[in-house]
Amino acid sequence: MADKITIRINGNAIKATRGANLLKVLQENGCDIPTLCAHRDLSPGGTCRMCLVELESSGVRSLVTSCNCTVDADVDVFTESEPVIRNRKRLAEMYLGRFPNVPVIRELAARCGVASSRFSSPVTDPNPRACILCGRCVRACKEFVIERILDFAGKGINRHVAMPFNEMDEHCVGCSSCAYVCPTGAIRIVDDLNQPVNPQLIRDHGMKVNAEMATLDKMQNRMREVGTANIVEVMDKYELLPVMNYRFGSHPDTPKIDSKVLKSRYFTQEMADGCWRGCSMACAKAVDNYTLRTGPYKGQKVCVDGPEYETSGGGANMGCFDPDFIVEYNFYCDTYGIDTISFATTMGFVMEAFEAGQITEHHTGGLKLNFGAVDDALEVLHQMARGEGFGVDVGQGIRWLKEKWVREYGADRQFLQDIGMECKGLEVSEYLPKESLAQQAGYGLAIKGPQHDEAWLIFMDMVNNQIPTFEDKAEALYYFPLFRTWFGLMGLCKIIWNDVVPANNKFEKEAAKIPDHVNNYFKYWEGMTGIPLNEESMLLQSARVYNLQRVMSVLLGYGTREYDRMPYRGMGPVTPPEYEWRKDYFDKQLRDILGVDPEGKSTEEKIRILRAHREDQYEKVTDVVYRRRGWTKNGVPKLSRLKELGIDLPEIVAIVRDRQDD
Amino acid sequence: MNQPNSSTAETNQEICRPRDFRGELLICSGSGCTANAADEIRNELARLLTEHNLSNTYRIGMTGCHGFCAAGPIMIVQPEGIFYRKLTIKVLDRIVREHLIEGKPVESLLFKDTVGTIPKREDIPFFSRQVLISQRNKGLIDPESIDSYIGRDGYLAFTRTLRNRQPEEVIQSIIDSGLRGRGGGGFPTGLKWRACRDAVVSSGLSPIVVCNADHGMMQLESDPHSVIEGMLIGAFAVGASEGVIYLRNTYHLARKRLEIALAQAAEKGFLGTRIAQSAMSFTIRIHRGAGAFIGGESSSVVASISGSIPEPQARTIRNAVKGVHGRPTVVNNVETWATVPVIMHKGADWFAAIGTGIRKGEPLSGSSGTKVFSLIGDIAYPGQIEIPLGTSLGDVIARFGGGVPKQIPLKAVQIGGPTGGYIPASRLDLKLDFDSLKAAGTILGSGELIVLSEKKCIADSLKNTIEFLADESCGQCTPCREGLNIARSILRRITEGNATADDLDGLRELGLTMRETSMCQFGVTAANPILTALDSFLPELRAHIDQKRCPARVCKSLIRYEINAERCTGCTMCARACPVSVISGERKKPHRIDSTRCIRCGTCFEVCKFDAVEVK
Repeated sequence: MADKITIRINGNAIKATRGANLLKVLQENGCDIPTLCAHRDLSPGGTCRMCLVELESSGVRSLVTSCNCTVDADVDVFTESEPVIRNRKRLAEMYLGRFPNVPVIRELAARCGVASSRFSSPVTDPNPRACILCGRCVRACKEFVIERILDFAGKGINRHVAMPFNEMDEHCVGCSSCAYVCPTGAIRIVDDLNQPVNPQLIRDHGMKVNAEMATLDKMQNRMREVGTANIVEVMDKYELLPVMNYRFGSHPDTPKIDSKVLKSRYFTQEMADGCWRGCSMACAKAVDNYTLRTGPYKGQKVCVDGPEYETSGGGANMGCFDPDFIVEYNFYCDTYGIDTISFATTMGFVMEAFEAGQITEHHTGGLKLNFGAVDDALEVLHQMARGEGFGVDVGQGIRWLKEKWVREYGADRQFLQDIGMECKGLEVSEYLPKESLAQQAGYGLAIKGPQHDEAWLIFMDMVNNQIPTFEDKAEALYYFPLFRTWFGLMGLCKIIWNDVVPANNKFEKEAAKIPDHVNNYFKYWEGMTGIPLNEESMLLQSARVYNLQRVMSVLLGYGTREYDRMPYRGMGPVTPPEYEWRKDYFDKQLRDILGVDPEGKSTEEKIRILRAHREDQYEKVTDVVYRRRGWTKNGVPKLSRLKELGIDLPEIVAIVRDRQDD
Repeated sequence: MNQPNSSTAETNQEICRPRDFRGELLICSGSGCTANAADEIRNELARLLTEHNLSNTYRIGMTGCHGFCAAGPIMIVQPEGIFYRKLTIKVLDRIVREHLIEGKPVESLLFKDTVGTIPKREDIPFFSRQVLISQRNKGLIDPESIDSYIGRDGYLAFTRTLRNRQPEEVIQSIIDSGLRGRGGGGFPTGLKWRACRDAVVSSGLSPIVVCNADHGMMQLESDPHSVIEGMLIGAFAVGASEGVIYLRNTYHLARKRLEIALAQAAEKGFLGTRIAQSAMSFTIRIHRGAGAFIGGESSSVVASISGSIPEPQARTIRNAVKGVHGRPTVVNNVETWATVPVIMHKGADWFAAIGTGIRKGEPLSGSSGTKVFSLIGDIAYPGQIEIPLGTSLGDVIARFGGGVPKQIPLKAVQIGGPTGGYIPASRLDLKLDFDSLKAAGTILGSGELIVLSEKKCIADSLKNTIEFLADESCGQCTPCREGLNIARSILRRITEGNATADDLDGLRELGLTMRETSMCQFGVTAANPILTALDSFLPELRAHIDQKRCPARVCKSLIRYEINAERCTGCTMCARACPVSVISGERKKPHRIDSTRCIRCGTCFEVCKFDAVEVK
């Protein structure tokens, strides 16, 4: 992309990127180009014609509008030639004749050297806030919020902006994007039902998000096109996709279930499926007219809400690289009220136990639950819903299955403990945290169990490499759970915080926090309540709730260190094939970090050495995080911390008073 | 599948005649003749044949439009080729008795001009000097019969191309032929196809071929298969399996005939899968356009088919690369598609030798082939003709059109439709080809020639043109939307006698800015009538401003009607016809018009048999 070419602007040679927008190039080089319909965050309109310039290529001169012209050859650009100036003046005169009192038009005319217009007409509009037909609002509706509620109606001089049939369209959510981009104030926002203190502040920061979605998403994540499923291929590339009960991090069959497949063959609407009306990211996707292959609705055409990344990742975790299976289990989990993550992770565990001979067909009621057994896996799901057979057991979750299989089938307790990916009784979500200490602890130390809502650190740790040191990781385990708890408390979505990031985020000092977006949240709070917020006051608000949650967890019997430990499958290779899969990588770690020569050692021996090291690291990071959070070595909030936060109420103190050993 | 007939009927007039009939009565079923009761004429003729026991001797057939609508309804009696014009139900009995039974054509119903009676179509000057390529079958085949088309070598060019040629060769042939888009733009068709084919290779997307039928009603009504065959060849060349005909919604008869033709072509295996036992698949669907003038602009066509408002798109990427639903798209108009099979049949060199010709390897160096022109306005024979590009304007007006009626001098010809420029009578030497017309400030456009006699006022004509264009502008871009609206106001003032000298300068400046800065060709060419009128008819426009006078005595605000007392016989005709009753006078005595209350409708002028009503 960084293909540089030389162009001449009014005779001065400058370097430009091939394919760059000519108007932007001219503005960056100090040219004063009058525009009306152009807007920084919108695609070019190309209709006001004010930005015209003259191009000369192979001796031929032509007038073009710079806003929709790309620089792709060596050309001479003239921004002040006679035809440019003459036509600019006449266009300005046409505008001034029609809209004599609109400030931007008067400004534009003055800039072009036009003081008055000869061209008044019967349709001259004296309104200073008249609509000048620039079409920014029409494009904002389409590009900011993926709606087409506003559009032009009428032709010729009768052209005007309208909603369908000139009626108020009930699909308009009042996002105010149109008013935000309007240069004349022709669109005004009438009402704010929630009576915020400063609606403009909220709107301004909401518009920043809208503009980023319209301009950056297509280059960064394609959330609007494919939703969260865009990371299937990213996770596979970075060895982070959980494959076959978290044994491996990638698979040759991943391209069968990645976002390209979903986009081309499944997703039917490039629009939001209704998660939140008016959301400009619109990451929730749907598969329409999908014909079910199994279950009570077999043969019927249904609309499937999803699949999201977690559901696709769950397919990989069951070894089922079959997009039809993924869409089908997605539909039935939704229909039955079952969480796709818990189902997929539990089935991954069941499948590994089945392949390892810990359970047999005798126990599964004849189902052959090898990895990739799509039909039998769906049958388990249907059994679960019907309350029949083996499905009843699987529905109890991994923690319950481990107990039963050891107790009744004589299964290997240590093995099941190592491979059963649950913590505090909740199944782990679909990221392979083996090589990410931050994510291991993010999962293990999460108060409600190992899902990623509280500490999704794997991306910043492994893909963006934003928290490289031990101290960085420990600090992240303090800050992010509190920030995430905070916007959860506010009922705000996290996806607009970190999925699409500002273009210049990489230059921020604490890039992982995405400070510009955190500030958006602070402004929403301030706009709503009138009370300014900063990082310190936000963390204080959140820590009160967070520590209260931990105290509740203590009360319920899960709030101590022994329940904050992860099964070893989440921390390192349990079985020889897992080690062999990335042998060179693990060997290098032994050599570089532990000073152990892997030569001549058996795989089992190397696994043992690595395990001792990784478990030790985990304990160390737990110590540091507990200390940072103001908790005892056993993970219980200290009375001093509760006092500091102002939540040392007698009932709360009573729960933790006897557990203060440190 | 029936193999297309491979006989080579080369002449325009030959037609396959069923052996068991003595002759055929071919009645034109074009829109013009149908509107003038061609269907009733056919029914009555059938009744008469039965009555005279001739049903097994003569067969009644129907043909498409001859383009000679001034003479409609038209019937040709085969095999002699006797051309009957302006038929009515009343005269049919004479034709049956005198011609069919007694063998003597009814002379009073034949075509006459200054030279005398001309019984056969091919001898009438209007037809004899035409060179028919796209309209090769006009008036000669039944538009609702694929066999009739096949009988005139239809689908032969396509099947031969499919068997013997490579797509790349086809594209090269079209480039070598010098065929340029007949829709007005004049872009070399072959280059468009090549750009599309290249885009298909680089993008991997499947292409679409589109027929822009916002214009070209007559071709579709007369010979729908010619367009389908052209699209098949285009689809083969670019590798498309999907075709769309963007049809103006008001073309009801064309739609009916196209639907019949598509069904027949599918039945014969020219459309569908495994066409002619090859791997080629191709289907065509009709997309009904909303009929707005701007809807015929090619990016509007693409927008409409893609489900958007039919408005020109502000894009720098061509349709050939990114068109319908973002796929590479070839858009050609009806006439272009209908021309393609003939080029493939007779060769690029043959085609390139017609018209002004081109230099090899320079597709924009000339205007090869023929073009269909419509003659309308003050002309003796309004209608459609197909002639070689480069024919002079004077030739067309005099020899094909029969000149301006009633010996009235010619004033101007507006060439290319509403966005064409006014060419003054002094420029009859002008060659009708892409480049000469552009140099003269007009366009080939739709090939419409609007003939204006000296009785027409340029200011009035220009005002009407601009009123139409202002209404039809989509209104997206400033110069076209505002420019046309302001021009309309100025022209209203001129024709009402309220304009100032500055208005003419303003008009010229508006025209130049529209031409130089409009987003699409509509706005660019909408300046043509304004600028050419200013260039060639400035004195006439000035008379409206400086002397408040309309030299052609057309502009209502600037004229008044008076009765010449010497000529008036007092017949009372005018007084009875006057819609506002402002003419007074006694029977057999001169009448008077009350000028203060007269609405200048001109009815008295029209009805007076003694030329007593005068325009002042």
